[in-house]
Amino acid sequence: MPPLMGIEFLCRVADVLSDYLGGLNEDVIKDNFVIVYELLDEMIDNGFPLTTEPNILREMIARPNIVSKMLSVVTGNSSNVTETLPGATASCVPWRTTDPKYANNEVYVDLVEEMDATINRDGVLVKCEIYGEVQVNSHLSGLPDLTLSFANPSIFDDVRFHPCVRFRPWESHQILSFVPPDGQFKLMSYRVKKLKSTPIYVKPQLTSGAGTCNVSVLVGIRNDPGKIIDSITVQFQLPACILSADLTSNHGTVNILANKTCSWSIGRIPRDKAPSMTGTLVLETGIERLHVFPTFQVSFRIMGVALSGLQIDKLDLKNLPNRPYKGFRALTQAGEFEVRS
Amino acid sequence: MAPPVQSQRSPSPSQPSGKGEVSDLKLQLRQLAGSRAPGVDDSKRDLFKKVISYMTIGIDVSSVFGEMVMCSAASDIVLKKMCYLYVGNYAKVNPDLALLTINFLQRDCKDEDPMIRGLALRSLCSLRVANLVEYLVGPLGSGLKDRSSYVRTVAVMGVLKLYHISASTCIDADFPAILKNMMFNDSETQVVANCLSALQEIWSSEASTSEEASREREGLLSKTNVYYLLNRIKEFSEWAQCLVLELVAKYVPSEGSEIFDIMNLLEDRLQHANGAVVLATIKVFLQLTLSMTDVHQQVYERIKAPLLTLVSSGSPEQSYAVLSHLHLLVMRAPFIFSSDYKHFYCQYNEPSYVKKLKLEMLTAVANESNTYEIVTELCEYAANVDIPIARESIRAVGKIALQQYDVNAIVDRLLQFLEMEKDYVTAEALVLVKDLLRKYPQWSQDCIAVVGNISSKNVQEPKAKAALIWMLGEYSKDMHDAPYILESLIENWEEEHSAEVRLHLLTAVMKCFFKRPPETQKALGAALAAGLADFHQDVHDRALFYYRLLQYNVSVAEHVVDPPKQAVSVFADTQSSEIKDRIFDEFNSLSVVYQKPSYMFTDKEHRGPLEFSDEVGNISIGIESAGTVVPVQRVEANDKDLLLSTSEKEESRGPSNNGSVYSAPSYDASAVSAAASQTLLELAISNPTVSGHAPQPSLEIDDLLGLGLPVEPAPAPSPPPLKLNSKAALDPSTFQQKWRQLPISLSQEHSISPEGVAGLTAPQALLRHMQGHSIHCIASGGQSPNFKFFFFAQKAEESSTFLVECIINTSSAKAQMKIKADDQSLSEAFSALFQSALSKFGLL
Repeated sequence: MPPLMGIEFLCRVADVLSDYLGGLNEDVIKDNFVIVYELLDEMIDNGFPLTTEPNILREMIARPNIVSKMLSVVTGNSSNVTETLPGATASCVPWRTTDPKYANNEVYVDLVEEMDATINRDGVLVKCEIYGEVQVNSHLSGLPDLTLSFANPSIFDDVRFHPCVRFRPWESHQILSFVPPDGQFKLMSYRVKKLKSTPIYVKPQLTSGAGTCNVSVLVGIRNDPGKIIDSITVQFQLPACILSADLTSNHGTVNILANKTCSWSIGRIPRDKAPSMTGTLVLETGIERLHVFPTFQVSFRIMGVALSGLQIDKLDLKNLPNRPYKGFRALTQAGEFEVRS
Repeated sequence: MAPPVQSQRSPSPSQPSGKGEVSDLKLQLRQLAGSRAPGVDDSKRDLFKKVISYMTIGIDVSSVFGEMVMCSAASDIVLKKMCYLYVGNYAKVNPDLALLTINFLQRDCKDEDPMIRGLALRSLCSLRVANLVEYLVGPLGSGLKDRSSYVRTVAVMGVLKLYHISASTCIDADFPAILKNMMFNDSETQVVANCLSALQEIWSSEASTSEEASREREGLLSKTNVYYLLNRIKEFSEWAQCLVLELVAKYVPSEGSEIFDIMNLLEDRLQHANGAVVLATIKVFLQLTLSMTDVHQQVYERIKAPLLTLVSSGSPEQSYAVLSHLHLLVMRAPFIFSSDYKHFYCQYNEPSYVKKLKLEMLTAVANESNTYEIVTELCEYAANVDIPIARESIRAVGKIALQQYDVNAIVDRLLQFLEMEKDYVTAEALVLVKDLLRKYPQWSQDCIAVVGNISSKNVQEPKAKAALIWMLGEYSKDMHDAPYILESLIENWEEEHSAEVRLHLLTAVMKCFFKRPPETQKALGAALAAGLADFHQDVHDRALFYYRLLQYNVSVAEHVVDPPKQAVSVFADTQSSEIKDRIFDEFNSLSVVYQKPSYMFTDKEHRGPLEFSDEVGNISIGIESAGTVVPVQRVEANDKDLLLSTSEKEESRGPSNNGSVYSAPSYDASAVSAAASQTLLELAISNPTVSGHAPQPSLEIDDLLGLGLPVEPAPAPSPPPLKLNSKAALDPSTFQQKWRQLPISLSQEHSISPEGVAGLTAPQALLRHMQGHSIHCIASGGQSPNFKFFFFAQKAEESSTFLVECIINTSSAKAQMKIKADDQSLSEAFSALFQSALSKFGLL
């Protein structure tokens, strides 16, 4: 048995269950034994995965939502199994419900990127990479055919697609041509490596001697992305040999949590000053200098920019009765952004 | 009335009073069974839910079986589903009750709604009650012909379930043939996929008993079948795709162009969102191109990016599984990944199992161009909060140093570790410096200077202490206070808990004595006395051995204990290449994640029937790669305290040898005087387990000679008409492919002599002997009385290969041989050669 098949399947089961039950924990499962049984019945038979496509499952087994619960209490006549066999099991686009109908046809395309970066103690950018996803939320009637193209597809290092993406057009012209599933889904994921700089800098300095350690951390904008950098926080784990810590900042708040994690939430960087955090750490008696150096983990969000520079050129829709609404967004977050000291 | 659903939110309080609740439920169910009042379905549903949740949390509700069945006569599908679930759960323990349900399940199998038909059929097959199988055949037969694909999908799986309950019923009803027909003709791909998985399972387990089934199983791998499935692959669900890809990976294409066709067809699968599909595809690519070296390399290049993407997306479990596979590939072809080393940098909050894999990969991909950066990165981890990882990274630096030519900078780094004043860093660094010195003695001056500053009191870990002591002994000439440090260590003999350290102390003080006798004499006396009084057998024996050796002749003792040493050129791997190859053959399975071939963690009966040489058991599969001068050392688990064998192996085994004797001589039988070797022999005899190894030294020398000779090996004085290539090479998978493809050209049976039987107690000896005759063993296995060997040989100056399967039964003294040959006309000549080789070993 291939290990990934097992793991992927379990992840899928978890996704479907939390989609159905609005969360996934012991209590939720205990409350919904029957639904869980029904779902598992359709998802796996004799150890072999069967139907895992949420759209098809949704047609076979209705969700236990509040409305249907209410209905069943009021009318006493609602089943959480739909009466008919799903149409899509037989259709050639298994990910799509046969014929959804919407009054407003809408499609939203989001670029969500995560920046992973490692900066070593000399302040050199050791590694900087972006992992991104193109997430689509589609509410379109009928069987629409979409084409999405990028202004600069050459920046991709590697891509992965939802099964709905046709391979040939990508191969020849780098365009994504697909019939979308209904609702929210991940159209593609990609990697862009070898980025040259990060939007902000974090400069930690630790000097220790005679049983104490002086800490100073500076944060500022290095490369202005043109949009506001939001929710900046810097976190680090205090080494075990530290007795007490006294840290203050000129902007934002510093918290030391019970597990010796120090968290400095900055928010936005003010225009007039560069945020900094300073203070001293007192080491355990007997230890002169600090030998373990903490790693600073940085997080931030930038709305409206994909830091990889990826740009959507256009989105064409075919096979639609009326003009749909198209929406685009971009978002970059820090993934594993770490600064060593 | 039943409570509303919400009250189940905390089912635990109801648990203790299970009994009363159940009888209560029984009563309520009975009341409802006959009722036709409106809303009765709803109250039934609530009751059923309660029953199910009791069942799930482990309360026995089998007593309401009858009532449940009575109540579910209604047409409500949710009720039915719950009832099916209930019945499926309890039928196995209550076969009599199960009979009750057969009727109503059979009726449901004829329902109008395909969903109900399917569900009923599934439940019917899940009853798993052997005496009810007769009721299964009818509904299954009609289920397979149902017009709804849903029912057919269920029915196909039902056939498999039937097979597991009663194989004969399933075969008698001719279901496999029907499934085979369906596999090629059904329009619904899920049905096809289920047929495939059912047939694979049925035929594989039938194959051992029935010729026909094994033919059918081979048939699944036929060109038409594989192509049929490949052409439809895009219609399959992602899971079914994995199944098909797994089948394709076993397919052996007959010509090169096929390989490229298949790869072109499957290339876009590498971009699939499902990691399982991607890995299955990679396996196909790797298996197909095994014999085409340059294409194989291109495959590595092609799959690199998808694998790296898979690692960075998904849950930690997914990325670990992928990373393990990446690890395997990196270890096989590090140079291909050497430019991607940054991907293997560790992130701060990754779990340490991920970091460990990454460190190993970083070590592997280090080459001249990236070493500096990798070592810099690794040094940062040494200050890591996570101590095991800090240790690993120091070890990694050391390994890189051992595999590089330019070690200058790295040695400096290692010496810096020694000055970091953290005990675990010092400990690891000491062990590394010791290994480094064994490989690069020219660095001794620099290292000694730093090591000399380390106080032995700060070193507590046995391994590190042993390393320090080894250096003290080895370089006592250059470290002027070495005798005094050793002396103080000997004074604390009683407090030293590790036998390893005490052994090293003995040897080190001996070495020191040879170099600086006057200063060490006192310490040596004290050490030998303490050693002789030691309660640990090995320490005692070694002290005694040294004592007698010194008594006999000091210069001989020096020759034995402290001979001039050669630098170790290559440290042996802990995992032999044959095991690695095996893991590679099992790509995309748990073997890769566990880093062990499947026979090491599965029970014998669960091993796949397609497995090659499946009686491996506890023995060594020798894939002797001709061409390497050092013979593959068999790692016996129990050899760590065998003085004799460890000292022989020390040069090639190196660091993996825990508790071994670093100071022991590289064994040179001729140089050691008779008395010395006699003492050795005495020791050997006193330890009964050694005897098995005793003949090894001479054999190894034989072997070295046999391999060292050029093309013309040492065969017969009158050269046989058929000459074999002494450096023939064949990898296991090619062997397997060939074995499958070629017909048997000769099959013989011989009786073997009793001396030959005796010689088989150590099969390795036979393998070495055969290798001397240019017949190489690719795999061997079995336990007394049955031994099985697979040999291969190649004709000199031609690539015509001979394959032999040789089964020897020592109790009946019979040897069976099956010979397959590329050129069948030569098989007679080869057989004669093979037999003469066997008879020279005394077998025939």
